[in-house]
Amino acid sequence: MKRVLINGPEKILIAIILLYSIFVTIVNPSFLSLMTLFDIIRSASCTMVVAMGLLVVMLSGGIDVSFMSVALFGGYVSTLLMMQTGINNIAFPFIVSTLIGIALGLCNALLVHWLRLPAFIITLGTQNLFHGIMTTFISDSTIGSGILPSSLGRFGSAAILQFETESGLMSLTASFVPVAAAVVLTWFIINRTMIGRGVVALGNSEESAVRAGFSPLKIRLFVYAYIGALAGIMGVMYIAQVRAAYPNKLVGDELMVIAGAVIGGTKSTGGQGKVLGVLLGTLVIYLLNSTLILLGLSSSWNDLFVGALLVISVAITSYQTRVKNRKNLIFTE
Amino acid sequence: MKKLLAMLLMLMLLVCGTVGAMAEEEKDISEYTVVMIVKQSDSWFDDMEVGVNQLAADTGLNCYVLFPESGDAALQISLMEDLISQGVDAICVVPNDPEALIPTITKAREAGIVVVSHEAPGIADSVDLDVEAFVNEEFGRLMGEAVAQAAGGEGQYAGFVGGLTMETHMVWYQAAVDYISENYPDMVCVSEEPYEDGNSIEGAYDKTAELIRAYPDIKVIFDCSAHGGGICQAIQDRNLQDSIKVVSLALPSMSATYLKDGSMVHGQAWRPADAGYAACYAAYLLASGQGVETGTDLLAPGYESVTVEGTIAYGNAPLIFSADNIDDYNF
Repeated sequence: MKRVLINGPEKILIAIILLYSIFVTIVNPSFLSLMTLFDIIRSASCTMVVAMGLLVVMLSGGIDVSFMSVALFGGYVSTLLMMQTGINNIAFPFIVSTLIGIALGLCNALLVHWLRLPAFIITLGTQNLFHGIMTTFISDSTIGSGILPSSLGRFGSAAILQFETESGLMSLTASFVPVAAAVVLTWFIINRTMIGRGVVALGNSEESAVRAGFSPLKIRLFVYAYIGALAGIMGVMYIAQVRAAYPNKLVGDELMVIAGAVIGGTKSTGGQGKVLGVLLGTLVIYLLNSTLILLGLSSSWNDLFVGALLVISVAITSYQTRVKNRKNLIFTE
Repeated sequence: MKKLLAMLLMLMLLVCGTVGAMAEEEKDISEYTVVMIVKQSDSWFDDMEVGVNQLAADTGLNCYVLFPESGDAALQISLMEDLISQGVDAICVVPNDPEALIPTITKAREAGIVVVSHEAPGIADSVDLDVEAFVNEEFGRLMGEAVAQAAGGEGQYAGFVGGLTMETHMVWYQAAVDYISENYPDMVCVSEEPYEDGNSIEGAYDKTAELIRAYPDIKVIFDCSAHGGGICQAIQDRNLQDSIKVVSLALPSMSATYLKDGSMVHGQAWRPADAGYAACYAAYLLASGQGVETGTDLLAPGYESVTVEGTIAYGNAPLIFSADNIDDYNF
């Protein structure tokens, strides 16, 4: 069987990214620098980590809109714990927040499985529930940069690669490490493990998955715990980058992550989606958002411009998929 | 006979009324109840409560603060309804959504309750008085001067607002830019419109990263939303703090670090405690019939002699932060 590494939506997304980059470079040559890439990696890093979790959930035919709430819960609570216990080591919040994320993810999974309601409704509910529990029973005060444990701030501005250039220090953020780890792990799970096969099987047809011997409950527990864990990690990354823990941020920013996954060719009905596609989809969004100043566009153009380009990208991607399907004699419409 | 009775009745009513009115004039300040409804509990409004409690301690006025559970206009409305049925003398409110409160404000005023708003000049027509810390244009010009000073009077600069729809941010921005172009002709604003930080640190960071790439010669970036910390971080991460200065609206809790490490040269705000103090005292003056006019002293620093235009009372209470005084404040 012939295997093509890059095809379908990924190919088109790469083409869009290249064409757009060439266009921006022509307008403003300062776009073409390693700094641009490093900046985009930093600003997209949080989104990319949770997007990997979302890909796995969507592959299983589910959806999760509570991950930002989970991220905030994990990040905020672990920061509070750091301050109360006086532990100033960056590994601590990551571990605590991941565990909190897993616990909250398991709640989601059990509710989705037992109540048999659409995951969208359940997680929309838990989104508010988790956030409400945090602000009501734990704390709702802002932890500003002055009192934030110093190891968090250090991680946020730490670099794994650094160059001195005439336009300042150019650095690749340490947040790149969790991104790379999440990407590799997710790829491995989806493509090389039995549970990954089960996730895809469940997303294609629950009935067939059960007949093939997969347990939908176990798979759901896994996928929601997985996105919970990644959300937990992301929450700490976010607080480290912002150097403050706000009790009211993140929640409500889910749509951009979901958009990245969908643009990358992940099907909301389950069973279809690729790591590379999600990465490229997210990249497109951040690329568009971080070139307006370079293009000299004023802020009122922001939404119009990004929105229009996103619609065009999605339209081209889906048209190409349809053409390809027709060639293979698959008629979806 | 009937006529006489009616006359007598009238007379009695009149006497009662006069006595009642006289009694009211003699009412002591401690017999007045002024309640302040803020947006929500956070460091800003917690500080405002400090001011209101201070007013109670200083003057004996019965005043206190109510905190809605979240920043929701509906919660403020229900708190106001409660106060109307309790029959307090005056309500001060910092509206989350000024327009949405108008019907309730009207209801309160019909019930004889004085309503004073803060940070809501847009609904000044519907309240007895709106107390503002300063004229917004003045505040913007102050920021403009700080930007020019930081740049040394020449070179490129750019400004941020939280969002283009945020009215006060836009007024400050425009006043700052107009001030600079009038007084410092050698300074160039790189964009026609302000950039938006979306009221977030990461928004400010990302846009600054792009801004520095697009305009490597930029000397000052200013932010009309309190998220200048994101700009400072982006500049520090690039080790450019010696060549690019930051001027920003600032909260001590969010900006102290940056003011102290020198990446933010000038922070600007107003003191919520003083605003709460002045607003509640103004409400008392109105409820007791003493009135507030230009020159009235509202007792709080910066409000010693307010300027009244229509139903808006402007103080002159901008607060300038530097590395030296930032630790004196806690909001």
